[in-house]
Amino acid sequence: MGPFTQSAGTAFRLIFSADREVFAAVWTSVSTAGWSTLIASLFGLPIGMAIGLSDFPLKRLTVILLNSLMAMPTVVLGLLIFGLLSRQGVLGVLGLLFTPKAIIVGQSLLAIPIIANYSLSAVRAADARILPTALTLGASTVQSFTQLTNEIRFGIMAAVIAGFGRVISEVGVAMMLGGNIRWYTRTMTTAIALETSKGEFAFGLALGIVLMLISFSINVGLSFMQEEQQP
Amino acid sequence: MRLRTAAFVLVTLLASLGAPAQERLRMSTTTSTENSGLLKVMLPPFEKQCNCHVDVISVGTGKALKLGETGDVDVVLVHARKLEDKFVADGYGVNRRDVMYNDFVIIGPAPDPAHVKDAKTSAEAFKRIADTKSTFISRGDESGTHQKEKEIWAETGVTPQGNWYRSAGQGMGEVITMATEQRGYTLSDRGTYNAFRHGKTDLAVVFEGEKGLFNPYGVIAVNPKKLPHVKYDLAMKFVDFITGPEGQKIIANYKVEGDPIFFVYK
Amino acid sequence: MRAPFYHLAGVEARYRDKTALMVDELALHGGQLNVVAGLNGCGKSTLLNVLAFLMQPTQGVVKFSGKRVRWDRAQLRELRQSVTLVHQEPFLFRGSVASNVSYGAKARGISGYALQERVRKSLELVGLSGFESRNANRLSGGEARRVALARALACDPEVILLDEPIAYVDELSTKIIESLLVASVDRGVLVVVSSHDPTLGVRLNARTIRLQQGRLVQDSEAQEMYAIQSPEGSVYAIL
Repeated sequence: MGPFTQSAGTAFRLIFSADREVFAAVWTSVSTAGWSTLIASLFGLPIGMAIGLSDFPLKRLTVILLNSLMAMPTVVLGLLIFGLLSRQGVLGVLGLLFTPKAIIVGQSLLAIPIIANYSLSAVRAADARILPTALTLGASTVQSFTQLTNEIRFGIMAAVIAGFGRVISEVGVAMMLGGNIRWYTRTMTTAIALETSKGEFAFGLALGIVLMLISFSINVGLSFMQEEQQP
Repeated sequence: MRLRTAAFVLVTLLASLGAPAQERLRMSTTTSTENSGLLKVMLPPFEKQCNCHVDVISVGTGKALKLGETGDVDVVLVHARKLEDKFVADGYGVNRRDVMYNDFVIIGPAPDPAHVKDAKTSAEAFKRIADTKSTFISRGDESGTHQKEKEIWAETGVTPQGNWYRSAGQGMGEVITMATEQRGYTLSDRGTYNAFRHGKTDLAVVFEGEKGLFNPYGVIAVNPKKLPHVKYDLAMKFVDFITGPEGQKIIANYKVEGDPIFFVYK
Repeated sequence: MRAPFYHLAGVEARYRDKTALMVDELALHGGQLNVVAGLNGCGKSTLLNVLAFLMQPTQGVVKFSGKRVRWDRAQLRELRQSVTLVHQEPFLFRGSVASNVSYGAKARGISGYALQERVRKSLELVGLSGFESRNANRLSGGEARRVALARALACDPEVILLDEPIAYVDELSTKIIESLLVASVDRGVLVVVSSHDPTLGVRLNARTIRLQQGRLVQDSEAQEMYAIQSPEGSVYAIL
């Protein structure tokens, strides 16, 4: 228990002394994860819901593909995007590599399959009467889908929360595409990797505890948005 | 209430969009160089002088040079002479300059089961390790340290293989940790070893001082003729700084727990 | 004689590889109360879904107010403004009773005080005055059915379709619903109600259309009866 309590102590010391470097890493983690989740939701939710609601010949294959993409190793995705964003790559002219934007690109792609998959499940589990009820009351297609999304709000938020969890905890993409640059693209996870490589296990663990606390607080906020309303 | 939370989230996110105003110089270097902590001391005065930011990307030697080849960085700081020369010869780099040096040491468990301490040359030391089949951890990642290790093995005429020879494929820090856990030997740069010496490893230096274990560092600007978008002027400013009187002084004075890590050329 | 609200000709609808509905000809007029009777699985719900423009028949022509239904999205949205269907087990959206009852009216562009009034009136009609702020998912079965009915009434449609509105419903709700249907018809609304209760049509003095295995086998309005098929396949003709 010794090393853990030591790390816990260090973690609280870091938080209360508002250590600038740690704060910078936390901010980078949270903002890249935040943007990535937002972008991934904008793509993933409609994709997942569309697949869930429609019927087409390759549907089964598409769902299997989606499931497999969820398990994409972060280093592999990082590698693929690295190839695209590098100066030698197709998108090299954008000069995005080793900037926070590159991390956001990678993490968004990481989260899309997860959010799509969870929202697909939410839609599948939805009451079959929702859409026809909205339609028969005169709603447009868009309005009826909006109502459907509202009715399965819990499942939709679960998708978003799952996506956020995936990206704030990952290392592979952030390391490859961000480069772990101090003050700039160093996230909590890449910082932990760095400390570990330096043999600073206790400090690495302390950073991990700080990250978990941040994650917990954010999830409290997210679940607040998820909660059932009591009119 | 939900709307306010969402609005708060959006405003916070938008705040993170603030673009940095200063110019950024990108430098790739090795993990051991960054882990030594030298750059934390070297870069702030340079950044002030040039009114710029230096983005340091620390990776394995191979990747550090590759980033130079693709122009993803503007300047490279590594310690692998043969690879550096090739980098320049192939036209990717210009104005290679010597910056500093340190040396490699062979570290191992204090009881020294392979009797490396009695060896006269590094090659002999390695041979003793091979003969006793003592655990040896190799970097295995084509880094400068790994290149040096391979050179020594070549001198012994022995091809290291077997359960005792473990190729880690990781950075120096991780390899020292591994050697510590498995009570084995490894070749390390002195800088990283010194950083680990106080509390993170109980391995001791069992061989040092040979001319062949000399570990020179070079800084190279990426060739603007081949990769026109690189920030050549800024890169040269850095090259001049680190090889100039101010930079050299910082290197010479840099110590970790009282031990110097790098040495400058007289 | 007014143009029939609905005219179905040669309409066939399939449901999961089974032909659920086969109607050679059927006309429905406004201001009329129709009961579609038959056992479970006879095609009542399918017919209502077609009339509600929620299900497209695989064959045949459906005309509404003299115009042929092309089943494209734009036209359907327009048609659905005039017709509303209340499911057998109605789904109430999460939220308050008021938000449910106002849903259809809102979709038709009504807002503000006019909307409030409509909600209040609709709830009054179903005997649930004051229920506006109640949680829609915490109502008894009968109350929920009545809210769904109020929601349909608030749309002020020309056609109201109800799938088994009084099956397993308490006596009070039954009375309210039945009197409301009659009142709607008096206002000129076309009402179609499905039921497995064969006496409902008599009780409400309504036209009864009987379905059996998707086919129209009896129409109290028609002069002659359609051929009735018994399970063994033999045919009877009754005059």
